[in-house]
Parts: sequence; structure tokens; C-alpha cells
Amino acid sequence: MEDAQIVNSLVRRCIAGDAVAWEEIVQRYNRRIYNICYRFAGSADDAQDLTQEVFIKMYRTLSSYDVERGAFMTWLTTMTRNLLVDHFRKTKQDRVTDSMDAAPSEHEDAMPLSEQIEDKRLPPDARVQSRETGEVVHEALQKLSPELREAVILRDLQDMDYRDIAAVLKVPEGTVKSRINRGRAELARLLQRIYRQVM
Amino acid sequence: MPGETHNGMQCNEFETLLFDALDQKLSEGQQERFRAHARVCGKCGPMFAEVEAGQHWLKSLAEVESPANLVNEILAATTGIQSYRLQAPAAAEHRASLGERIREWADSLFAPVWGTVRQPRFAMSFGMAFFSLSVALSVAGVKPTDIKSADLSRSGLRRTYYTTTARMVKYYENIRLVYEIESKVQEIKKVTRPDERKQEKERERNHKNNTSGDPEPRQERNYSRDENQPVLASGPQNPLAVSVITTRRDV
Repeated sequence: MEDAQIVNSLVRRCIAGDAVAWEEIVQRYNRRIYNICYRFAGSADDAQDLTQEVFIKMYRTLSSYDVERGAFMTWLTTMTRNLLVDHFRKTKQDRVTDSMDAAPSEHEDAMPLSEQIEDKRLPPDARVQSRETGEVVHEALQKLSPELREAVILRDLQDMDYRDIAAVLKVPEGTVKSRINRGRAELARLLQRIYRQVM
Repeated sequence: MPGETHNGMQCNEFETLLFDALDQKLSEGQQERFRAHARVCGKCGPMFAEVEAGQHWLKSLAEVESPANLVNEILAATTGIQSYRLQAPAAAEHRASLGERIREWADSLFAPVWGTVRQPRFAMSFGMAFFSLSVALSVAGVKPTDIKSADLSRSGLRRTYYTTTARMVKYYENIRLVYEIESKVQEIKKVTRPDERKQEKERERNHKNNTSGDPEPRQERNYSRDENQPVLASGPQNPLAVSVITTRRDV
């Protein structure tokens, strides 16, 4: 049986009230959803809460999933993304990616991103030695605007194709590619600045 | 500049091919032309380098493990049940045997009960019930270590029932005999000492009628002396000691 058929069968069983099928769905997708939430929200605690929220919402609305309208993963990712955006709006963690090269102003987010990401407690060389590269990249990712962040997460971390990302983000495929391009370039410039500072 | 041509490729064509190049989908010839343009174009070259580096950084991020308790928390929040703990990740493909299905059914039946039982207040109640039962068994002389498999057979259980019943009846009969003897003794005493009984009744009546509030007169009995202790009676004519045995007074 193909993966899509297995998932559809699980969904049908789950809608019929099969608790074992529901657990199977949770087992299958919890890690993926947690990773999306973690990379987008930045903290493990927030990611755990958000993942739970996604599954609670999914449990309530599973009957609304239409097999004919698209893949289950796309449906689930769309739900996750919507919750993440809502969470982002609630917590008002707005970050302006394009301000990286902008002149400093009174607004905190207007300062160059490389300065924002700096760890003030340690000298640069000690910081690089003490932290894993992954942590630095993860932290830099949080400095991207939500539009760019979600695009690169779905493409480069979740390996979704452009069409599915466009369906999730509800924007044209060209916009998706443009955001991915900009997100990758921003991240690279940000990390280059950080590493240039410590060299 | 979009219209600029380097190595037979315009910048707008370079941008079009950018994603295919990053996804390794270009043919060898296209890849060659693409790289050649990036090397010489002052706009496309740095842009491609940045995007490629960003992609490289993002791809370097490893997938993180979800917290161990996440699945259970999700299941508790949605179904109220901790976990059925499916062993096979692809359970939909797996055809469960009859035994497994029975186990799953039993799990689904008992999981909520077990969840309730594990709450501290219920656990404490069960602990107390177990303690009471063990105390009752030890008082009844039942030792779990003495129980053999033969005792749990049908005939063994019947034998135990009859033995226990006989023991209980015997115990009851013994107690009844003791009480009967005691009541007989009391009756004999009453018959043999009618005067004392009368005196006692009179004393009780006086005590009831005494409403003056004065304290009762002290009894002059010498309690310091043993009841069978000899009393020495001395007189001027008879200096000899005469031993008198006091009789016990029944109260």
C-alpha cells in the first residue's frame, strides 16, 4: 500500500472513532510538526506547546479533511503554518529582515541583524567555540522575517516542493521561489557577518 | 542587469535556471553555462554565492528529536488516554493477529480504568484496603505462604470451607459453654449467700436515697492486709496468739 493510501486509511479509521489509528497519526507526524514549530518559533517549549495545539486542532477538524483536495501532509502543514502565524502575531515578535543593512535607529529591530544576534556575554571567539554551528544558524534563522523564514523552513528543512509550499502559504509559486531566494541570501549574509566578526 | 549576456547566457535566463541549478536538476551542459555566467557576471555571481551558501547552512541544520512525552501529552489532550503504544510504526500495513487484537481491545477497555486507579487518592485507598485485608487474614490465621495449588482446587476449596465452618462452630460452642458455666456459678453464689445479697441491695437503696450531698462514709476495711493473713488477738488473760482466718467477702 502506498503512503498516501495508508494515511487516507488511517484518517478514515480515525474519523470512525478508532483511537489506535489516531495514535498512529500522532506517532507518524509529531516529529515533523515539532521540527517546523521549533525552527519557526525558536524555542523548544513553544514548539512543544504549538505542536500540541496543532494536534488538538487536527483532532477536532479531521473530518473536514478532503482526500480529493490534496495531500494530507499539505493539509497538516497548512494548519501548522496558520497556527504559527497566529502565534507570531500574538507574541508580536516581528522582525524585519530587510533592516540588516539599514541605518541604526531607535527601534531595536532596526539595528543590523549581525549585531542583534551577538551574544554580549562572551567574546566572539569563545562564543563560536562554545556553541554548536547549528545553534548559531538556528538563532540566525529566527532573525529572518516570518515570510522568508517559513518559506526556507518548508523548502530546505522539510523538503517540500514549490507547488505544495505555494498551496500552504497561499501565494503563487513564483513568490515562493522569490522568498526562498531572499531568505537563503539573508541568512548567508547574516552568518558571514557573524563569522567575519569572530575571525 | 537582466539583459546582460555573459558566456552565452543572459541574467534573466540565469535567474530562471537558478532553482534548477540549486536543486541539481540542470543537465551537464546547462550547468557548465550557468557556472560560467556566475563567474563573470558581477551581479549574478555574488547573488548565486549567497543563495547557495544560505541553502548550505539551512541544510546543515539537523532534524531535532521531539520530546519523549510529547506523544503521550497529545493523546492525553485529545483522547484522554495516555497511549495504546503501537509497536509497529506502520500499523496500517500490519495485519494484527487475534491475540494482538484481543490485547488492543483489552487495553482500550482497561486503559482509562488504569489511569484512574493510578491517581494518588485511589492508590492510597487501595493500599489501605490491602492493609486491612492482610490484617484480617493474619488475625484469622491464614498465611498466604501456606496456600498450595491443591488448596485452590475445587475439592481443596470445599475442604477449606468445611474446616473453617467447623472451626467457627466449635469456637462458638466453646464460648457458649464458658458463659453457661459462669452464669451457673453466679446463680449458685446467689443461692448460698441470700443475706449478703439483701444487705447489698439495702446499701444500694440507701445510696440512692442519700440526696444530702455529703460524701459517703469511708469503709473501714483494712485493704493493706491480705485476706488470708492471720489476725493476732491478744488479751490479758490469754496471751497466746490465736490465728483467725478471715473469709473472703464476695462483692
